[in-house]
Amino acid sequence: MKRKFDHSAPSESALTGPRYWRSLDELTATPGFQQHLAREFPEGASTLDGVDRRSFMKLMAASFALGGLGLAGCRRPEKNILPFGKSVEGVIPGLPQYFATAMPLRKSAIPLLAETHQGRPTKLEGNPTYAPHGGASSLLAQASVLDLYDPERATVNTSKGDVLSAAAANDLLAGVGKTYAAVQGAGLAFLAEQSSSPTRARLVAQLRAKFPKAVWSEYEPVSDEPPTTAARAVFGAVVKPIYRFAKAERIVSLDADFLSAESASLYYAREFAKGRRVTKKEDPMNRLYVAESALTLTGSMADHRLRLASSHILSFAAALAGKITGDAVYARLAEGLDLKPEWIAECAADLAAHKGSSLVVAGAHQPAAVHAIAYAINASLGNIGRTVDFVEVAADESVSISDLAKAITANSVKTLVVLGGNPAYNAPAELNWPALQKSVGEVIRFGYHSDETSALAGTHLAAAHYLESWGDARTADGVVVPVQPMILPLFGGITEIETLARILGLPKTDGYSLVFDTVTALGGGDSAKTFRRFLHDGLLANSAYPIVSVNLSGRGLAQVLGSVAPAVGALSQANLEVRFVADHTMDDGRFANNGWLQECPDPITKISWDNAILVSPRLGKELGIEPKGSLIQVARKEEADFTQGAENAHVFTLTVGGRTVRGPVHIQPGLSNYTVVVALGYGRTKSGHVGTGAGFSAYGLRTAQAPAFVTGATLVTTGTRMKLANTQEHWSMEGRDLIREANYSEYKENPDYVREMGIESHAPSNLGKVGEAMTPAQRATEIPRGGSLYETPKFDGVHQWGMSIDLNTCIGCNACVVACQAENNIPIVGKDQVMRGREMHWIRLDRYYSDGKADGRAMADLFGGEPSGNSILPEDPQISLQPIACAQCELAPCEIVCPVNATVHDDEGLNTMAYNRCIGTRYCANNCPYKVRRFNFFDYNLRPLDSLYLGQLAPKGMPELVKMVKNPEVTVRMRGVMEKCTYCVQRIQNGKIQHKVKTAQAGRPSDVVVPDGVIKTACQQVCPVESIVFGNILDPKSEVSVAKAREQDYALLGYLNIRPRTTYLGKLRNPNSKMPDYAALPLSRIEYNNKNHSGDHSSSHGEKPEKPAKQSGGHSSVLPGNRSGGLS
Amino acid sequence: MSKIFPKSANSLPLQIIIYLVVLIGIATAGVTYYMTPKYTRIGYAPVQPVPFSHEKHVSELGMDCRFCHSNVEKSGHSNVPTSQTCMNCHNQIKTSSPLLAPVRESYASGDSVPWVWIHKTPDYAYFNHAAHVNRGVSCVECHGKINEMEVVAHNQSLSMGFCLECHRNPETRVRDPKDVYDLNSQTIAAKAGVEAGVKFVHDWKIKPPQSCSGCHR
Repeated sequence: MKRKFDHSAPSESALTGPRYWRSLDELTATPGFQQHLAREFPEGASTLDGVDRRSFMKLMAASFALGGLGLAGCRRPEKNILPFGKSVEGVIPGLPQYFATAMPLRKSAIPLLAETHQGRPTKLEGNPTYAPHGGASSLLAQASVLDLYDPERATVNTSKGDVLSAAAANDLLAGVGKTYAAVQGAGLAFLAEQSSSPTRARLVAQLRAKFPKAVWSEYEPVSDEPPTTAARAVFGAVVKPIYRFAKAERIVSLDADFLSAESASLYYAREFAKGRRVTKKEDPMNRLYVAESALTLTGSMADHRLRLASSHILSFAAALAGKITGDAVYARLAEGLDLKPEWIAECAADLAAHKGSSLVVAGAHQPAAVHAIAYAINASLGNIGRTVDFVEVAADESVSISDLAKAITANSVKTLVVLGGNPAYNAPAELNWPALQKSVGEVIRFGYHSDETSALAGTHLAAAHYLESWGDARTADGVVVPVQPMILPLFGGITEIETLARILGLPKTDGYSLVFDTVTALGGGDSAKTFRRFLHDGLLANSAYPIVSVNLSGRGLAQVLGSVAPAVGALSQANLEVRFVADHTMDDGRFANNGWLQECPDPITKISWDNAILVSPRLGKELGIEPKGSLIQVARKEEADFTQGAENAHVFTLTVGGRTVRGPVHIQPGLSNYTVVVALGYGRTKSGHVGTGAGFSAYGLRTAQAPAFVTGATLVTTGTRMKLANTQEHWSMEGRDLIREANYSEYKENPDYVREMGIESHAPSNLGKVGEAMTPAQRATEIPRGGSLYETPKFDGVHQWGMSIDLNTCIGCNACVVACQAENNIPIVGKDQVMRGREMHWIRLDRYYSDGKADGRAMADLFGGEPSGNSILPEDPQISLQPIACAQCELAPCEIVCPVNATVHDDEGLNTMAYNRCIGTRYCANNCPYKVRRFNFFDYNLRPLDSLYLGQLAPKGMPELVKMVKNPEVTVRMRGVMEKCTYCVQRIQNGKIQHKVKTAQAGRPSDVVVPDGVIKTACQQVCPVESIVFGNILDPKSEVSVAKAREQDYALLGYLNIRPRTTYLGKLRNPNSKMPDYAALPLSRIEYNNKNHSGDHSSSHGEKPEKPAKQSGGHSSVLPGNRSGGLS
Repeated sequence: MSKIFPKSANSLPLQIIIYLVVLIGIATAGVTYYMTPKYTRIGYAPVQPVPFSHEKHVSELGMDCRFCHSNVEKSGHSNVPTSQTCMNCHNQIKTSSPLLAPVRESYASGDSVPWVWIHKTPDYAYFNHAAHVNRGVSCVECHGKINEMEVVAHNQSLSMGFCLECHRNPETRVRDPKDVYDLNSQTIAAKAGVEAGVKFVHDWKIKPPQSCSGCHR
């Protein structure tokens, strides 16, 4: 019988003699700690729930019987090789093909290269021909390939419940056209999504000509581009700004999440990183001021971050403009703003000192007046033409959904064509769209999923995915890019432009002809050649929106400013502001049935599969939901109540303007005190298995007047709790040196700062004297033993792979997480499994908050004295992000514990994982200090998420459609197998083979070293900010060697002597010493110093941790010669 | 008290042990012989939908491997020819042979001829043809003398041990690159001695992977 070890604390009566305790928590006997004691893996990762011994035996007997059956057929099953009947041009079985295409989204598009294997797209990469993105792509683009193979997409056209054949659907559309042509379109209305497609614009123009009385309306629930009304008012032209962040040394963001929420965010992130990256002391570094209500990715990169309600941004912008321009016109709006005047004064002074190299950016969701002020500041600073260009865009002539609703109410719409979108789910609440839509006689809905809107429409036409469609689009800066089909429509869907062409009754209605005509007209020249070039390059040269020079009209500005009232009403618990944001992964809800995106945790809250009502710590306290945790536990106070990895959130109702939604509350440090943030895109009622029921819909609160933020909300508890799957409950670095940060000013004097942190700085080198003297390449091959007893074999491959991750530019966008998932056939596991800590992502992003208050005086909280800062939930934290994947340790702790040698090193320094050898002991995961190994607790690939727990005899297998997305170069892992990052070994091997084939055929067979940059890992390729660099460290000129040679290079947990091949480059912050919130050290460094150099001798350092400004003296204690201070 | 067990029972434990040893021995021998790829794979020669003879096409007509397996030098997968490739010749010759009916049908309809897969590596092993044939490993090393086969049969075990044997001693198996597709040719070592093989391996920097990542991903 299995012995059950009782690790619980001895009972009071059992204790005789002196009382010992293993930690302070045990002493205090907190309930949380009791639970920790009972289980070795705190997250419940290793427990077998719901199966008792009897049913286990039953299952096992069944599987033995099955084994016996299986033995009867000893021969392997006969399989066939099926070559094409007719050869297909360009297809080489076994080699992928790449085609240029683009993913359209609202008024922009991301140019892509699609990797196809025998005609099925499996992976998307950015198209490097489009220079502004440099081959990067976004999280949503990476995941969009999964939507193509969504088994629950609309597969047939339906009309009133009956299947409609393709021919009948064509007749229907042509019939609509004919009927309304006679009456000039009176009674016909369209509701479409925004689009940048030149072909659609052409067709819509034709539509207006043919049906002059028809209504063409467009609706998008979230806006990702500045309103053109602002530019029209102040410049008198229909223009939009394109920011040049690389040239901007001082940047102010007015509630703008330009790194992830704007249409040009990929370009902006890339450019921002160029100004942020510091490779040597002489390099300049930009400085980012952010005033925002939510905690966005942009805010997490800020050097100075002001928590300010979104509704107060207008006043803030006016105050800033007033300081910079000295113009009195702003004074009226700036009145009543409640914040330190120095913040604005010093920020303004800094901007004024950088005329022509500064930039003020307003968030797309902010009203026109804020944008107008931002333009005025940029104009006054001489930034226009330098850090911001204005490009001419087409005027938007569509009517709003509210006007369409009026037309429907007035009974003047007989036929409504809904092209894409999902208004029944996301239209403004006051319209009561479902009822409106039902009141229209004939509704034809064209959509990708059979969703909430389709359910209320008479006719549903199945749309083709963009990877099945001919189309075109424009990037944010206007470059025309092709949308090419990679595969014939799997279910015969049609595209939006084909739908329009059929209604128009055009002679040619196929997508190819429509796009061909548009592009060749735009491109000119020989049409066949132009089009071939267009498809080959993936863009039309010289087609970007023209940059125009603009002149600020003072009168226009005054008019805009005069039309708005200052809105600095005091917010409180009874008058909350609600900020609606597009979800990081679900966007506006259109990606709800995409499992990769559902499981990808939010970059800041780290919640997956759900959204939450985010409240600030102060509001949380006032609402009485301040988490109760141990006062002195290592994790300090828990962010919320966690039980075994699941966040036990309080459910509240959020009411504004008489409308109410109900959702779980998550306490989010860094929010404006009385702003509540809710992400849109969840709470779908009619999606697929993945999307239905995840989270709650916040659209019920949103009106057309206040689509982005609204005040006057209240939160009332329901008294119930709900479990959220949160992948990171621990949010503090605890003063450890995981992410090593310095201020730019300190770095300039002391570029070596990372070496002065951590245990390594206090101990002799692990490499020994011999090792220290070696070059990195020598170290990689010879593995100097240092003081170690363990001798590893030499790594004698011609390459030695390594990776460097620059924490200074990482913006935490999560694109690498999903890119890795797409490349490496990583399954999703579902909310229930994530709550058990079983998510499978090979790369994760750790997010830490620091407020400078953690110190080593936890005892004080227990035994009296001045309380430590440990138990305070930070209101205004600094954020540090760190991507972590398998670091390919040279002296890997996982390898020495594997009983079957399933994980061993290869000669090129990779810590390989032979899945076919793994027996699933999980010793390796146990021994991994980075916790990056992932275990297949179930057949995640073969079972739907709701039947994981069924027995061996239950049906399993992957739907054919889902099989198609798998990368054929990577094994699909089965149950009971450990897996982890392998630096994309399939790319390495194929890269090496292709290189050897090339050189052998070229007569240079001895050239076997792959040139730098040819092999890219999936995470590296997708990274928009080029944080991740991978390559051969034997080549001193390779990008990775250069990065690793920088002074900021350090190994995470380097003191363990595991010698990871992935190392990190320290983070820099660039605060302004004149600002009121200036800290001479990054807050995490202050915590590091407090923790490691305070305690008994804190008095000798003579500062209090609460006064960071004075800390500069204290930090000298970590400099050489003065580091005798205690080590934790 | 009567004896429960006869005297002969004294030797029973020994007998049982002997029987068990013999039984286990037979089982072990049986498994090692009958259940390894050497037995289960070698000689596997399924009936193909079209009785294509490599002997006729290669040895008699002198066709090169790459005429049909045209992508073997480029791709990891050595392609089986499309029906169109067959029809390049067979629209001129033997145009009405009933044996070629499946090929003609396939060419007309575009559907595949369902050739039976013979040389199959497991899904977790990633063999790459281009990497081998471009660097001195001939078809014959794994496939045997296909050029003399009337019906294609599995010739080598293609087990992991088989792969590793060559990966450990490449010098005995490499051929002059121009001999790779000549299945009657000899290895460099057989022609000019092992030293020549060693020299070739050195000059070409041939270093066949012996670690997991070479074949398993």
